[in-house]
Amino acid sequence: MQRIYLGEFEELVLLTVGVLYDDAYAVAITKEVERQSDRSVNVSAVHKSLYRLEKKGMLDSRLGDPESKRGGKRKRLFNITPYGKKALDESMDLRMSLRKQIPELAFKWQTN
Amino acid sequence: MGKKPTIPRLPHAFFKWYCQPGMYEEMHGDLEEFFYERAAEKGLFKARLLYLWDVLRCFQPYAWRRPASSTNAGAVMFRNYFKISLRSLMKNPLNSFINVFGLAVAIGIAVFVYAFASWTFSTDQFHEHKNEVFLVTFLADRDGTPQEYGTTPRPLGAMLREDFTHIDKVCRVEDRPVVVKYGDEVYHERVRYADPEFLDMFTFPLQSGNKASLADPNSIVLSKNMAEKYFGTEDPLGKEVLVKFDQGNGKLFKVAGVAAKFPASRTISFDFLLNFDNLQTQPNYNIHDWGATLAATFIQVDDPFNVSSVEAAMDKYIAIQNSAVQPDWAISSFAFRPLATLHETSEYIKDGISQSSRDNYMSIMFMSIVAVLMLALACLNYINIAIVSATKRLKEIGIRKTIGATRGTVVVQFLAENVLITFFAMLLGIALALGFFIRAFEGMWGFDMGFRFADTSLWIFLPAILLLTSLASGIYPALYISRFQVVNIIKGTVRFGKNNTLTRVFLALQLVFACVFITSAVTFTQNSAWLGARSWGYSQHEVLYTGLPDAQAFAQLRDALSSHPDVVSLSGSVHHLGRSEQTAVLHFPDRQYEAMELKVNARYFETMGLQLVEGRTFRENAANDWHGVVLNATLAASIAPGVPASEVLGQAFDIDSTRYEVVGVVADFHAYDLSNKIRPAFFSLADKNDYRYLTMKAKPGTEKAVYEALQGQWAPLFPETPFMGGYQEDVWGFYYEVIDIHAIVWQVVATMAILLAGLGLYGLISLNVVGRIREFSIRKVLGARLTSIATNITRRYAVLFAVALLLGAPLSYKLMNILFDAAYTFHMPIGFSGVAVAVFVLIGVLLFTVGIQVIRLRKFNPVNGLRVE
Repeated sequence: MQRIYLGEFEELVLLTVGVLYDDAYAVAITKEVERQSDRSVNVSAVHKSLYRLEKKGMLDSRLGDPESKRGGKRKRLFNITPYGKKALDESMDLRMSLRKQIPELAFKWQTN
Repeated sequence: MGKKPTIPRLPHAFFKWYCQPGMYEEMHGDLEEFFYERAAEKGLFKARLLYLWDVLRCFQPYAWRRPASSTNAGAVMFRNYFKISLRSLMKNPLNSFINVFGLAVAIGIAVFVYAFASWTFSTDQFHEHKNEVFLVTFLADRDGTPQEYGTTPRPLGAMLREDFTHIDKVCRVEDRPVVVKYGDEVYHERVRYADPEFLDMFTFPLQSGNKASLADPNSIVLSKNMAEKYFGTEDPLGKEVLVKFDQGNGKLFKVAGVAAKFPASRTISFDFLLNFDNLQTQPNYNIHDWGATLAATFIQVDDPFNVSSVEAAMDKYIAIQNSAVQPDWAISSFAFRPLATLHETSEYIKDGISQSSRDNYMSIMFMSIVAVLMLALACLNYINIAIVSATKRLKEIGIRKTIGATRGTVVVQFLAENVLITFFAMLLGIALALGFFIRAFEGMWGFDMGFRFADTSLWIFLPAILLLTSLASGIYPALYISRFQVVNIIKGTVRFGKNNTLTRVFLALQLVFACVFITSAVTFTQNSAWLGARSWGYSQHEVLYTGLPDAQAFAQLRDALSSHPDVVSLSGSVHHLGRSEQTAVLHFPDRQYEAMELKVNARYFETMGLQLVEGRTFRENAANDWHGVVLNATLAASIAPGVPASEVLGQAFDIDSTRYEVVGVVADFHAYDLSNKIRPAFFSLADKNDYRYLTMKAKPGTEKAVYEALQGQWAPLFPETPFMGGYQEDVWGFYYEVIDIHAIVWQVVATMAILLAGLGLYGLISLNVVGRIREFSIRKVLGARLTSIATNITRRYAVLFAVALLLGAPLSYKLMNILFDAAYTFHMPIGFSGVAVAVFVLIGVLLFTVGIQVIRLRKFNPVNGLRVE
């Protein structure tokens, strides 16, 4: 089976799209990622990930309504596709299964 | 909310320009949302800055506009060609490397030759008045052939200035050896006396000082080199240097100017410039003497067209001149040589002060030939490999033709591919030329070629080379490959590339070229050893010499050194081999000869080890020897052609109406380096009050001790004069270095040629082996030994090699003879050893190449070769 590849930032964006559910567009995602992960994010990086994820088929999108706070421009709203969910799950499973395989001994640091 | 803040205009335009139209609305909406929010929170200024930052951050491929041409069929086609070309390049890395590297080396050499040629042709072109400034020369007939001389009668310059309205400026130039002293820095130098117009007529800008100061007889102008030599980092302006014209006669000059660094290619420059009037104040200098000459006189005319009218009016000076001198110094006409072409014409002007570039022209010619041959080698490689490997592209061509490609489009495709490959090769070649050829060459000769990319003609040259090379290498394969019928290709009945006659002819040609190059490398190397070992006609290794400040110095040094146990012989002379001589005209009743005269004393022959052939040398203290001369064999032979040298003894002739008689003949000797012909020469007895040189022969092995003894005596005797001595073997300067550089250049060229031919051969043989892989697999399965496979591969090329070498060897031999006769006045007899080495090297390359393939086949599993797709 071909491994589904998800970059670390891409995964963050994908998750955030899910979190924001019905209002997932670039500005909101940027702010949410910044707030939740406590790191500074540029909207350009979010754009890039969104368009890539859409190309990969993990995201779907539609255009919203024009808004005055955007200079009368519409926004592109994203939502996760089933394939996106699968990618997320696989990524989570992989992490969890790896995490579980770490023997407890590995965390027993000698403190003397 | 008050008035809405406005989006910064310029970044917005930029964003609009690069952003895909379909994505503009959503993306810019995001940016605007951020902008308005920030404007409200952080202030307009910060918001604008951050907006600019966002626009720049978004400038990424995902947002870029797709090229509008994507719908243009032609562009799509070419993009497809490009892709296919890159893929086929990647698929055969070895072949691609051979092609690209071979072409790169050849182009690198071509670029280097271009740089060298443009350097040479730029000689003197920096002079603003190069077309209006002329060197005055005269023609005279001294021994049957008219000869042009670069010197001028002394009074002529002043008269030209008076007599012609078309002549704007006149500059007389004279050179003199002097001693220059500033503080502890004391050296022998040559100063150039010139009229103040010098710096106006020649474009030598001053980096400091004022060029009008040359009009002041107490000023001196230095070159940048000399300023650094004497003053280091100090500012020379206003400092006083002492110039000593001769013993006890000197003058202080104030530095009034320092010239900026001279352009690398020039025929005329200077170390020190003094006002011409300084020459006239010196004793015994008569500027009005028509019998004496100046080093050079330059004129500047108002319009180059008027020079012919000046030339036509020169007759009256000829009359003045000829009435003032002996009939044998009579001149026939005056001429004017433009500064712009002086680097070409100087070759034919005797005693001119400008340097000739003839050697450079020769080099350009040779190197252009080499560059063209190298390009040919690389192109042949390319053609061969392209034809043989075309089998792999047959299906592609078949499909292209099926879906509508005409033969023309296929040809265009292959040519486009070629341009691409050549373009890569050119980039690499320019890098090679800059990083290796030009740098190494400049390092060897110690000069700066001034190669710059800003040169406009370079940008004509490079595309020309690109087109020419890609056409030369690509047109035949393209025509050849595009010829096949689709049906045959798809059926698989097309078979070619295995026994292509043209491929064989090309390979043979390459081998012939390689043979020539290797032979020249070997021969040049041998020749440089031969020249190094060649006798100069006297014992140059044991001889030391020194110039003398005056005639008394000879007696002082002789008394101090003649008792030195290691000095075998010591002599004095006015002239010295390799250092100075004068020219005399020998008058016989019916004819006359021009010859080189050296005034020496009786012991000079013994000291220098000159070999007596006939008669005797001078007797010490013999009064009647004042009218005796000793000839060299060349002069003896031209005086009495076809008779033994003994017949020449006793022959009498006049020099300046004094009668002389031949008392002896010495064997020929090289007064100057081996690139000069042996000139007719004779020795006459020197007056000891005129001695200017002291020569000593040391016992073998003690040269250094004697040299040091000489130096040790010098310092206390002549504290004011820098040491003027040296080893005789050093008088030829860097002649032997030049010869060695020739050898190195040819070795590099030969290495490249072997490399190219070897690579081509390797590519061909490996393609051939791949093409016959099924056959070899079957042979292997049936138990063939590796030796039989090796023979099998070799056999195919043995005949080809035999033919190529049979052609190449005699051709190389013949070419070597022509080349060496053209390049050297004296060279070793060309033997067959060079050709033999070339033949062996080439056979070695063949065996080595076959060897590699055989080793590959040994490891090869026949199953892989027999499996059908």
